[in-house]
Amino acid sequence: MQYMLLINEDESIYEGEEGAKKMEATLAGHMALAQKWAGKGIAFSGERLKPGSTATTIKWDNGSHALHDGPFAETHEELGGFYIIDVDSLDDALEWAKQIPVPGKGAVEVRPVWPMEG
Amino acid sequence: MAARPRLVAALAARLRDLDAAEDAFGEAMEACLALDNPPDRLEGWLMTVARRKAVDAIRKEAARARASEAAALIDEGGQDMGDVIELPEAIPDERLRLIFICCHPAIGIEARTALALKVVCGLPVSAIARVFLTSEPAMFQRITRAKTKVREAGIAFELPERRHWGERLEAVLLTIELAYTAAYQDAAGEIDPELSAEIERLAAMIADLLPEEPEALALASLVMLARSREAARLDEIGAMIPLSKQDPSRWDFEAIEQARTWMDRAACLERSGPYQIMAAIQLTHARRAFDGETDWRAILSLYDVLMQMRPGPMVALNRALALAQVKGPQPAIEVLSTLPIERLRNARPLHVANAHLLTCLGDREAAATALDEALAMNPPRAERLFLERCRIELAQG
Repeated sequence: MQYMLLINEDESIYEGEEGAKKMEATLAGHMALAQKWAGKGIAFSGERLKPGSTATTIKWDNGSHALHDGPFAETHEELGGFYIIDVDSLDDALEWAKQIPVPGKGAVEVRPVWPMEG
Repeated sequence: MAARPRLVAALAARLRDLDAAEDAFGEAMEACLALDNPPDRLEGWLMTVARRKAVDAIRKEAARARASEAAALIDEGGQDMGDVIELPEAIPDERLRLIFICCHPAIGIEARTALALKVVCGLPVSAIARVFLTSEPAMFQRITRAKTKVREAGIAFELPERRHWGERLEAVLLTIELAYTAAYQDAAGEIDPELSAEIERLAAMIADLLPEEPEALALASLVMLARSREAARLDEIGAMIPLSKQDPSRWDFEAIEQARTWMDRAACLERSGPYQIMAAIQLTHARRAFDGETDWRAILSLYDVLMQMRPGPMVALNRALALAQVKGPQPAIEVLSTLPIERLRNARPLHVANAHLLTCLGDREAAATALDEALAMNPPRAERLFLERCRIELAQG
């Protein structure tokens, strides 16, 4: 089963000199995780996203739409990246999701991907 | 149908779908009831029919891609009747596995125990709703949502690794506690009469599997101690006999001994918890069989500890009754008058306790009023007969 791991993070902790160090450590964590998956033969993909300030959102309301400068949800945590991994169960997906580095406040949402029919 | 948990668990393990397992079992039961003569080997028969019903249901949905996959899963190994008949008893932890799946931390905490009570213990939704103080439609929705989550999110159907049991244990133990309470207090006769025996087996199994978990051992003791009094709790016309009036020679001493063994082991682990205190209270009551009297001071101090660990109006009520034995009825009545009656799941025990204490004080009129209030609250038959007798004794003086 495929699961999407959505990484929502407080971007502000990566600001400044201290922040840059944190970012370096976080990226190393991601690299290590990707290597583990590769080593175990777990199929995965994923991307890092640019900050929420670069987002543009198309807001729909019953057929009409408007553009909004910013991410969909105005929260302290922003969607900063995602993975899609192929594992046997939610339990496995959760185990992996817990290993995603989130140095500050944040949340990793784990969602099953709707399977392709037939 | 005492075998229900075992059969539904075995079906769910194969189908990986709680709804489908319950449906298949229900259909098999219907088919069984439609027979003129019940099959000789009922469980094996039900399992085989349920399995076929499930395969039929899956075939009907053959358009769906996963149908062939699931059917292959069931047919795996080409099991014939012989295998199936041996199945439920041969894999006892299917039931346990199912409880642990229902208590998965990815399911909302308010839904875990409810789901387990429905799927594993087969409690009706109405009974579960009562236990959780919510409406039946709301509980139905909560359980349906949880089942969907189990199926759609791909929650694993394997018993989790031991290191993950801890985060599920509290909900698992709560399931056993509530199922037993529901079976024990079954007023409407809507719960399987064999459920309490089944819950005893499950509690014992959890204690055996988790000998390092004092609370699991204590809960098994608690269930066993309640079971030890089953023969003594009703008189010849079926009226309830309160614990203090029971004839200890009718208690089941083998059960008491087993409970004591578990509690000794729990005590060695030196991690206290509410089930251990509750079991210690019941074990102290059981000692009347050997000492000839009840150590109410010990019981009162145990209730004091329990009030710290797990405060609640029912604990406070039982503590007040112990207090009455140590310090007399007057201070106990004063404690009862401070209880938040609206927070009691059922105000009946409060009226019964008041009636008892007022009788001790000799205030017959007030005691009669309290009894009438309790009787007006539709008590189960055994309790009603007991209260009616108390009422007559009061009138006769």
